[in-house]
Amino acid sequence: MNGRVLVAIALLVLAGALVFAARPHEATADERIDQITTELRCPVCQGLSVKDSTSETARQMRDLVAQRVREGKTNAEIEAEFRTAYGDWIFLSPPLSSWSGLVWLVPVAVIAAGLGLVSARLRGPGAPAPTAPSAAQVAALRERVAREEAAEG
Amino acid sequence: MMVVRVAIVVALLGLVITLGLAFRRDPHDIRTGTVGKPAPAFTLQRLDGSGDVALADLSGKVVVVNFFASWCLPCTEENPALVRVYERYRSSNVVMLGVNYQESRENGLAYVRRMGMGWTTVADTDGRVALSYGVFGPPETFFIGPDGVIAGRHIGPIDEATLVTGIETLRTRAAR
Repeated sequence: MNGRVLVAIALLVLAGALVFAARPHEATADERIDQITTELRCPVCQGLSVKDSTSETARQMRDLVAQRVREGKTNAEIEAEFRTAYGDWIFLSPPLSSWSGLVWLVPVAVIAAGLGLVSARLRGPGAPAPTAPSAAQVAALRERVAREEAAEG
Repeated sequence: MMVVRVAIVVALLGLVITLGLAFRRDPHDIRTGTVGKPAPAFTLQRLDGSGDVALADLSGKVVVVNFFASWCLPCTEENPALVRVYERYRSSNVVMLGVNYQESRENGLAYVRRMGMGWTTVADTDGRVALSYGVFGPPETFFIGPDGVIAGRHIGPIDEATLVTGIETLRTRAAR
């Protein structure tokens, strides 16, 4: 019994610690610098973020971001400053609200179109609607049935 | 079946048009970021230490801003063209301004003297000006009109014809 209580208390403490760690809190200056520089592309590297690059240009960009954070600029204002100079290219993930956002939308549209096409093909062409036979067809069928019955005797 | 064929034709057409537009563009002429916008203002110290240069003081002139560094091999390649164009326009309303990029002032100044660069050169020690212009790396050249707007940008070593074309376009526009 005591063992179960201890396990329950330990689980409660663990859950409490997790909730405490994950609570929403205002990002510190260092966290904001990390957030912004993770999103910015290093202009002289191959697919590296400003945060991960060791180049001189990336270092200068990190210094600029740190200075803007200290000056009280918001993340959006700092990102806008880099966008003004380099365009949307400077972001590792193109923003949805720009032409570059097509990078995200086109694959989704293509997959949707493909699914639509496949489902249309699976359903296949609908069976043709039955049409009433003409009087001549009915007469010919009756004659054929009568002939076959006479042949069977 | 008809729908599938039309979809394939439309997709291929889209691909061809996209590739056609992409390959038509000159990779040295990147029309993003600062092109067509007012040139970011700056005040930088001259490499020889004889005072500051402010872009605002050059208002009303055609300004060619060239980012360079002594460690940049393509910069040495393009330098003869810059020297010739400087000599051609030195008594006109065209100003050439060299912005030394990511190096010590001593190294930058030694390079300027060695390469016979007679035009004004300034030190962008912390790279802030290069970042505000969206520079990827030297050499890069910006053409700024008398109205203070960036009219063109050339990435990589520039030749004499491109320099003259950029300058004359702005002079013609200013004369109208």
